[in-house]
Amino acid sequence: MPSGRFPHPPAFPRRGPLREGAFPSRLHDPRVAALLGIWLGIAFGVCFLTGLVSHFMQHPPSFLDWPSRPVWLYRATQGLHVATGLATVPLLLAKLWTVYPRLWEWPPVRSAAHALERLTIVPLIAGAVFQLATGIANTAQWYRFRFFFTVTHYWVAWMTVGALLVHVAVKLAVVRANVGSGRAGRAHLTDRRSAPEPAGEGLSRRGLGVAVGTAAGVITLTTAGQFVPGLARLDLLAPRRPDLGPQGLPVNRTAAAARVITVARDPNYRLEVVGPRPFTLSLAELRAFDHHTSKLPITCVEGWAADATWRGPRLRDLLDAAGIPPGATVRVESLESRGGYRASEVNPPHARDPLTLLATGLNGAVLDLDHGYPARLIAPNRPGVLQTKWVHRVVML
Amino acid sequence: MKANRGKALRGLLAAAGLAMAGYGIHGLLTMTRATNPPQAARWLIGGILVHDLVAFPVTAAVGLVLTRFVRAPYRAVVQGALLVSATVALASLPLWRGYGGSPDNPTVNPLPYGRNLAIVLGAVWAGAAALIVVRAVRAWRARRVSGPAGPTGSAESAGTVGSAPEPS
Repeated sequence: MPSGRFPHPPAFPRRGPLREGAFPSRLHDPRVAALLGIWLGIAFGVCFLTGLVSHFMQHPPSFLDWPSRPVWLYRATQGLHVATGLATVPLLLAKLWTVYPRLWEWPPVRSAAHALERLTIVPLIAGAVFQLATGIANTAQWYRFRFFFTVTHYWVAWMTVGALLVHVAVKLAVVRANVGSGRAGRAHLTDRRSAPEPAGEGLSRRGLGVAVGTAAGVITLTTAGQFVPGLARLDLLAPRRPDLGPQGLPVNRTAAAARVITVARDPNYRLEVVGPRPFTLSLAELRAFDHHTSKLPITCVEGWAADATWRGPRLRDLLDAAGIPPGATVRVESLESRGGYRASEVNPPHARDPLTLLATGLNGAVLDLDHGYPARLIAPNRPGVLQTKWVHRVVML
Repeated sequence: MKANRGKALRGLLAAAGLAMAGYGIHGLLTMTRATNPPQAARWLIGGILVHDLVAFPVTAAVGLVLTRFVRAPYRAVVQGALLVSATVALASLPLWRGYGGSPDNPTVNPLPYGRNLAIVLGAVWAGAAALIVVRAVRAWRARRVSGPAGPTGSAESAGTVGSAPEPS
């Protein structure tokens, strides 16, 4: 719309980075930006969708009954979420390098539409950097920010991916004119076309692609072992090793942090099952209850997962003994007196799954205090924060 | 027809994007007890500023230094290895800096990350060194084939910036 064009500004403020040719690198190129943008778009898409899976697993809407199978589903989606986010670090920085001169383009705004387009870049870049920085900090449990991570990360994701869709809509013509075998025939779509690569001594465009791919590969190779079975030995730069911890299993929240050391060790501990025929079990009675073994992973929202062998009564046997009907949802309550994760709801698919236990044993020994002694919930395909520890009550809802 | 359809599709995409972004911002501004908007805004804007005013200029300055000290066929390898090193270090920054975790839980950040980063970067630079050797051998062979009498001799790799584009 030519009528919307703003008048051309005077040239005298055009100094420093605003100068023509201020950025001589041949990597500042629309084709390179478009190719990196496609990869970045795919990565952010994967992060967003797997993030939504995690969000809705923890906060299921009333219409959604999350399945308890396949057992490995949450391990895969959440592992992928964190791995993709980590691998995005070199992609995002390389992409920002290729387009940085656009920050200083002249004139700064050409039209109302152009101003609006530039404005939508702000939430896109701010959100992208924010998501990677806070995500990495959270997996290391490094809390320098004074907001609650999961909630803020969730809303900023909507903002970022929304801004990304706007960006894709605006840049589709540039991408089509610069990418794909028929791109020469689509060159008329935009005036931002890739110039033939000038000769130079530094990194070439292809070289940048190789370096970014290598960086993403190195990051993935040295961190994926925290959730991929069999890769633990390559796990050099991840915040968790799936085999390090009491009884060979990492801990997210210790008994000391949850302030349950005394109550959990109390010899007068009772497990209370509340339903149509409520009953309580002492420690000895709980141990005498019909035990089963389940091989299930702990799959943490922070992206690590570790296999373990659990032993204890099946949750569904306890529910049957209390006369709780198969279609009922139950709440499993911890000895913790406070905190957002002191109780969790178990819907019928998980409550009735034969693999779901109220585990009292782990890897051939009595459950460690930090793993939830005297009893903890362990169910398939469920985030670790909902595998409630130090359980003392199961209530029919 | 086709152009119109494309335009409508892009319009739809942009509208969906604006709605999603609006939904996110609305969430940030309503669940204030969890999101702490002034803090979140500081980190959002801070990320942009740190990139635009620190990360980019520092990278550009390093690139400038490299043009002074590293010659042609090897400079690209050094640049690539630096890119890999910097981003690997950034993606694991809290770990090798010793940030985060809690003293009562040794299973969070349990590894010797300084040593591990040194191992990983050592492997990266070993790969880079191998590439440099390959390039050096190639350049040496090329000089031998073209011979000492060749008119371009050693000028072949020494800076073609600004010269006529190569026929290939």
